[in-house]
Amino acid sequence: MEKLQRIQPPVFPIEKIIIPEAKSFRLSNGVPVYLIEAGNEEIIRLEFTFRAGQVKENMPLLASTTNMMLTEGSQSYTSEELNRLIDYYGAFLNLNSEKDNAGIVIFLLNKHIEKILELCREILFRPVFPETELNSLMKKRLSWYLVNKEKVQNLAVDKFFESVFGKDHPYGYKLKNEDFTVLTPALLTDFHNKNYTPENMAIIISGRMPEKTIEILEKYFGNIGTGTVNTDDALTLPKEEKRKKIHIDKAGTVQSAIRIGSSTINKRHPDYPGLKILDAVLGGYFGSRLMKNIREDKGYTYGISSSVSSFDLAGYKVISTEVGSENCRKAIDEIYREIQILQHEPVTKEELKVVRSYMEGEILRMFDGPFALAESFKSVWEFGLDNSYYYRLIEKTKTIEPDEITDLARTYYNIDELYEITVGSK
Amino acid sequence: MIKYRRFSLENGLRVLVHEDKSTPLVAMNILYNVGSRDEDPGMTGLAHLFEHLMFGGSVNIPEYDMPLQIAGGENNAFTNNDITNYYLTIPSENIETGFWLESDRMLELDFSQKNLDTQKKVVIEEFNQRYLNQPYGDAILKLRPLAYKIHPYRWPTIGMDISHIEKVELDQIKNFFFSHYAPNNAIIALTGNITFETAFELSQKWFGPIERRNVQIRNLPPEPVQTEERKLTIEKDVPSEALYKVWHIGPRKSKDFYTLDLITDILAGGESGRLHTRLVREKKLFSEINAYITSDIDPGLIIVQGKLMKNIDIQHADEAVNEVIDGLKNSTELESEMEKVKNKFESSTVFSNSNIMNKGVNLSFYELLGDPELINKEVSEYLKVTREMIKDASGRYLIPSNCSTLYYKSTRKDK
Repeated sequence: MEKLQRIQPPVFPIEKIIIPEAKSFRLSNGVPVYLIEAGNEEIIRLEFTFRAGQVKENMPLLASTTNMMLTEGSQSYTSEELNRLIDYYGAFLNLNSEKDNAGIVIFLLNKHIEKILELCREILFRPVFPETELNSLMKKRLSWYLVNKEKVQNLAVDKFFESVFGKDHPYGYKLKNEDFTVLTPALLTDFHNKNYTPENMAIIISGRMPEKTIEILEKYFGNIGTGTVNTDDALTLPKEEKRKKIHIDKAGTVQSAIRIGSSTINKRHPDYPGLKILDAVLGGYFGSRLMKNIREDKGYTYGISSSVSSFDLAGYKVISTEVGSENCRKAIDEIYREIQILQHEPVTKEELKVVRSYMEGEILRMFDGPFALAESFKSVWEFGLDNSYYYRLIEKTKTIEPDEITDLARTYYNIDELYEITVGSK
Repeated sequence: MIKYRRFSLENGLRVLVHEDKSTPLVAMNILYNVGSRDEDPGMTGLAHLFEHLMFGGSVNIPEYDMPLQIAGGENNAFTNNDITNYYLTIPSENIETGFWLESDRMLELDFSQKNLDTQKKVVIEEFNQRYLNQPYGDAILKLRPLAYKIHPYRWPTIGMDISHIEKVELDQIKNFFFSHYAPNNAIIALTGNITFETAFELSQKWFGPIERRNVQIRNLPPEPVQTEERKLTIEKDVPSEALYKVWHIGPRKSKDFYTLDLITDILAGGESGRLHTRLVREKKLFSEINAYITSDIDPGLIIVQGKLMKNIDIQHADEAVNEVIDGLKNSTELESEMEKVKNKFESSTVFSNSNIMNKGVNLSFYELLGDPELINKEVSEYLKVTREMIKDASGRYLIPSNCSTLYYKSTRKDK
């Protein structure tokens, strides 16, 4: 028998990636519905999303609390009944409230679709925001907040957003203890009436579509009437704070949290796919430069990563890590050094090959299965984009050259413009 | 119904294959039958440190991650009391890269001093990040030795004392590898876009030549039966107080396991669980409370843990938890709750098995338990549980003499 050749990897090119398109139509009241047929099991993922995120609130916690109170009682069911029924039908309901959007995602067995949709209508359009439940939620939230404030990484993230997006903007402002005592049912009802409306809403369904899905959706959501017209002022743009370097002292911690980054372009910008690839090289995957240097070579940390993310009004990039406090300064110097190298030395062909393949594998995973498909659909749809964004990303992954990466690093990673937040003992 | 086929190689390696054409990917899961319970009490944390070392290069391949990434693959691993489990997902065109990488690191690691030194530091940072630099992070470090006096479950996977990791030497590492990492001590599951024939052929080609090894025989001291309630109070600078309670249960394969698992669902499954409803919503004693069962192969634990609201006396909160627990023993409203938790179990099984990686992890673990068919028939074991079985098991296991309680108190005035 021929001796097995264990030195060279057996690698083959990945076939062309084809992304299934969502079918779209509108209910009779105009609500857009997107259907993504995929998967083997008799299950679906159902998402109701509204332009009702933090950016729409005029006081802290209003958007997220309105969202969290949706399941705390409706016109036909008490909070206990709603929660018991969702559990009884074996469904998994996630309330989510983000910077721009808010809504619910529910995973269910197809056989319960009718009952679950009836419950969703109650939750989304007939909530009653009882005062007792609100008070008790706010006490719980305050107590979670106080625990979270003990963690260096949370303090660092909050300070980072405040610095990058400004202390007066919903993307940036930090919470205070007092914020947990001012919300009332009337404020929530008002926010709900203005933002949880058919005009602000979309439905995304993925999985093995049960028969009559469209009819059932029409039955429960096609006749929901227009809400109060939202006459609030146009959204204000975030505005960054002046101070770039901030240290928050937290005595007695063994590790310090580091966040370095700034606001940047978002998904709508033509350079964004290239920036995603640059980010991968820097700290976006396990074999990235930051991981290799700061974890695998120096052992300063359990993990370090960089990311580029998009909100509606802006994007941001950030490098995140927790390091032994004694190594904090050394780790920061290494981070800047890695950025400078990217700005001055072209990435080698070999490294670029690794990053390309890594990105291709990631893209494949973004479209693997009904749940991933729905998430990927939503994350371009909410920017008014479609799958052509992903095809541009795939194309850029295949064709980007080392010089372009250097240029992007110079354009988007100007070290003087980066915020540097550290939290820990001196 | 998950269809799979299995085979064994001459060297003892067991392989399971489940074909799923709906995905362009294949998941490859390798379970090594070694966990923190197999460690020497004087040198704990080794199984987990090993999980880190396994990414530092093997005898023919200087680096694990890079070639995997070139093939569009992704991987991770976890270690627990019982097993060390590695998994990767990769485009089906490149599954052979997975075989190439995994067989080489089963063959032999590149035991480099530099890699060992770095990974020791990384694990110490992991220990600091998870256990020391988080409020309540060290609770589990206190709780295990309270519940277990003899059995190796008394130390956590990260190790009993981080000094064990600091002082471990390369020879001990080599020794550990050859006495636990072996084809005859591993199970592979291939799930996703791969045929049985391909899986068989590639397994023979890449793993077939690795020789069987002398695996250290497991001979663990059984934990003596607990006869008295145990209590421990610690005080730390934390924003609110926390309560932890654990009860001993039987091994994963005991027939009470399903009943006890359903009990934790009745107590804490979803927003409508009893603990949450009674103690968070109604009595407002806790800001959060949870209950779960450890799925340990040797006799494990039921764990209840909760964080208290401000100005609540911890003893009072403890008594309230006991009342909810006692309620299981003479409950009249169990019937509809049981239907609920069974439905929920059924649906979470369907969801868990809609993902190729989960299918691979589950198949490998069930094979280790001795019956891969459990992946299809466990649901019916849950459905068989009756109200009487719930009451009976609560009365036998969830009793004070079988319980250890940790009061995690706060030194702050405003708590």
